[in-house]
Amino acid sequence: MKFLNIFQNTNLTPLKLLDLAFIIVLLPLFLMLKVPMLVFVVMVLGIVFFTKKPAKTWLIILIFVLGIFALYLSLYGAFSFRGLSRLKLFLELLVYVLLIVVSMQRLTQQINIYLLLSPFLFLALSLFFFHGMLMLIYVIFEIFFLLWMILSHRMEGDIVESFRSSIVMFMYSLPWVVVLFIFFPRISFEHASYGFRGETVQRMGHDGTMFLDNKALLVPSDRIVMEVGFEKKVPPSNLLYFRGSILYIDNKDHWEPIPSFVKRKKQVLRKINVDTIEYKVTLYPTQKRWIYLLDVPVKPVKESKLDRDLISTVKHSIKEPMHYAATSALSSRFYDELDRYTLKVSSRVNPKHNPQTYAEAMKIKDLYPSIEKRAKEIIKFFKSKSLTYTLKPEPLDINHTTDSFLFDKRRGYCVHFASSFVTMARMTGIPSRIVTGYKGDVSNALNNYLAVKEKNAHAWAELYINQHWVRYETTSTASHIESQQQTDEDGESVKSTKNPLVKKVNLYLMYAKYQVETWILYYSNIRQKQLLQYAKDNPKFIFTFVVSLIFLVMISFLLISYFRRPTYSSEALAILQPLLQFLKKKGFVRKKSESLHQYFMHYVEENQEKIELTMIIKEIDKIYELIVYGNMNTKELLKGLKKLVKKFKKI
Amino acid sequence: MMKSLRKFIQIHRSIKQHATRFSAVVVVLLFGLFLEAYMHDFNLVYITLFFVFSLAFSAGPIGVLNLGNLETKFLKKGRFFAQVEGKITLQIYNNSTTTAWAITVHGKDASVPIKHIKAEKNMLVHLPYIPEKRGLFSYDGAYLESKYPLSTARLTKNISETYEDIAYPQPKGKSLHAFLNEVENHFGEEKEFDGLRAYDGSQKLSHIHWASVAKGDMAVKTFIKETESANLVFHFNSAGKGDESRLSQLCLWVLACEKERLAFEIQMPKRKLSSKKESIDEILEYLSKY
Repeated sequence: MKFLNIFQNTNLTPLKLLDLAFIIVLLPLFLMLKVPMLVFVVMVLGIVFFTKKPAKTWLIILIFVLGIFALYLSLYGAFSFRGLSRLKLFLELLVYVLLIVVSMQRLTQQINIYLLLSPFLFLALSLFFFHGMLMLIYVIFEIFFLLWMILSHRMEGDIVESFRSSIVMFMYSLPWVVVLFIFFPRISFEHASYGFRGETVQRMGHDGTMFLDNKALLVPSDRIVMEVGFEKKVPPSNLLYFRGSILYIDNKDHWEPIPSFVKRKKQVLRKINVDTIEYKVTLYPTQKRWIYLLDVPVKPVKESKLDRDLISTVKHSIKEPMHYAATSALSSRFYDELDRYTLKVSSRVNPKHNPQTYAEAMKIKDLYPSIEKRAKEIIKFFKSKSLTYTLKPEPLDINHTTDSFLFDKRRGYCVHFASSFVTMARMTGIPSRIVTGYKGDVSNALNNYLAVKEKNAHAWAELYINQHWVRYETTSTASHIESQQQTDEDGESVKSTKNPLVKKVNLYLMYAKYQVETWILYYSNIRQKQLLQYAKDNPKFIFTFVVSLIFLVMISFLLISYFRRPTYSSEALAILQPLLQFLKKKGFVRKKSESLHQYFMHYVEENQEKIELTMIIKEIDKIYELIVYGNMNTKELLKGLKKLVKKFKKI
Repeated sequence: MMKSLRKFIQIHRSIKQHATRFSAVVVVLLFGLFLEAYMHDFNLVYITLFFVFSLAFSAGPIGVLNLGNLETKFLKKGRFFAQVEGKITLQIYNNSTTTAWAITVHGKDASVPIKHIKAEKNMLVHLPYIPEKRGLFSYDGAYLESKYPLSTARLTKNISETYEDIAYPQPKGKSLHAFLNEVENHFGEEKEFDGLRAYDGSQKLSHIHWASVAKGDMAVKTFIKETESANLVFHFNSAGKGDESRLSQLCLWVLACEKERLAFEIQMPKRKLSSKKESIDEILEYLSKY
């Protein structure tokens, strides 16, 4: 509150209060204004700032003309009936028109009801454009600020007192807002989307193709690709495989999926004898069509297609955060009846490309008729090659990638391991394929929350054994792991967060952000129903909820009583308040015309038999007189006064 | 807690709430926000909607407490004259631990805005009022009004007390100076200074020459001629034409005499009023009730 003391003698005029309100509500809209309109607004602000008198008619007309011109330039090309039918454009037009009208009215320096209402209209309009975490914080601030300005106007520009009153009102309304937010019936349409400017950043880490040369995708950044909320605790890392795309075709330097025009037999989903797990995913814009589901997905996610390789895709590339609920069985194998084409393509291998590997594979093939045995032998072979897992491998020989990796360089990361493993498996006669996606890491998990980062992008192998696709973690065959500095997507070296405390705090912040997004920004009727159902099933939760609500109300009232407390002309008088209230409670009421000294003497006169008390009162009176009239406002005296008041109350 | 609740209910009953145009604005805003939230399922809009609703909702009790703790009392101060603007004094006491904001006192003819009344403090408000005619008058229908905090409701608290006072006749007519020029006989004391002589204890105290006393001598003033003239007498019947103009004329002279500190008498048809026997207010009251 002390920071407000600088405004102690500031009394703002209604026009200035209104200007402040406009600046606050317009700030987020500045982010979406087109350049011509932005220039126009800056120009109007300049005129408002420098002219003290009401603008003349010619200036207002000029502003109108310039405003229309800026509007025309801003929406040039979008002007058509078709364009206007798009809500976003229509809203943008509304914002521009409102800006022009408000500018004209503001220049007249006359406040009318329309000008008073405009900040609220701007606030409501800005809610169409932004709905992220930052906007949530800003909206709450905006509401508080507008309330402050209204109260300042009502209290004739008294900034400090109106601030105190605003806090009181705000805290009064807060518990109501919480209750309404949770229980107000949500009966709305789908969540509309206009594209959030701040969210156009593309997440990397997974592509439909997998390169083995220097184009190999390696994005070891900490940017979050998706956030996953599990119903229960996050499963262990070895079960957190999020399927992306399946690659069948080996093109020497890269792997590709089966072309989309190829028609394949539909997958027959068989029940997997493993408990299913439910989870919710927030997938950030990837500009790709894949959505990531944990191995093995048991049903398609709403509005997505689950293909025969259990890969999920949506119709259009993901350009803004996407939220979906999914169910998976945490298994490393699933049944599949391969059609002829898939079998052919997943067995195709050219021995000439990697003769050394082929020779080793043939040995295994000859020695072990069982496919499972062969797979085990391949793992053994890989382990025997003393391979090193590194994010900075030396380039491989593109014409003989597997040979180069296994017999020459022996250094690589997931793509090199998976590619070589699949090649060798195919050489031993096991149909196999590469799966790319993400592998979650429990070090990025907290309770039921898991953050999947770009650096969690991964590739592994699936081998077709006994009519089942079986997952093989190929990087586990590495004998050494090379620790190194991480690099971000721009190639800049970034030191990894080694401090575990910083990492933990960071994780907690991400967790808090995720919870706010889940329970506030994306709270829906489904969540509402879930919450009610959960409350029905867990009566203990109702108790916790009620206690939390009471706690919130108590905090609100504490803040209210703090900000409602009366202000006194001196610190000494404030110290005396408990004593005065105590005496009042005891029935010794101070007369309206009585000074404090008279009041104390009055008390002494009436309570002569209470020697100790009267002595204290006399002492209090003396110190108070010294402080207030003797200009001896020292810390010691104030402390002494406080002690005496306490002592009096104790007795 | 129960005591506070009971007090609040009691206060609430003494306050009347009226909708303002801003309450209509809030309703429209709520409706608009609801449509926006409903159509697009934006939780930020829902949050704004609930804040607007809750703030408008909590504005009620805050406004009631702001106005409800004010206690009013009329004070009798000053004189009222028919057809002349006078001030009715209203004492407002804020019987609360917090400051009361943005109050307007509405009287019969005018309203007085008050920025704030500090906690447990008094404030005097002067309400202008013009009594139509002389005699007893009563002043009621005054009330306190406040739009604090959000202007969404106009809260009013009636002042149940009726102010009663007397309006004296409108002072108008010939000035006292003009009257004195017209009348032949002088009034007051007529004196002609002769000199000083020693004080022997028998002289009037008013004749003591204080300048000599200051020098150490006790001297008194002596006069050659010392006669008491006739009193200043106003006659009701000759004061004007018609009772009202006579009363107005007499009222004007009475006030002028009070200002000049002159003793006077008024010869009314059935009674003689003397400034030596009655106070000015008693004389004026007699005139106003005539």
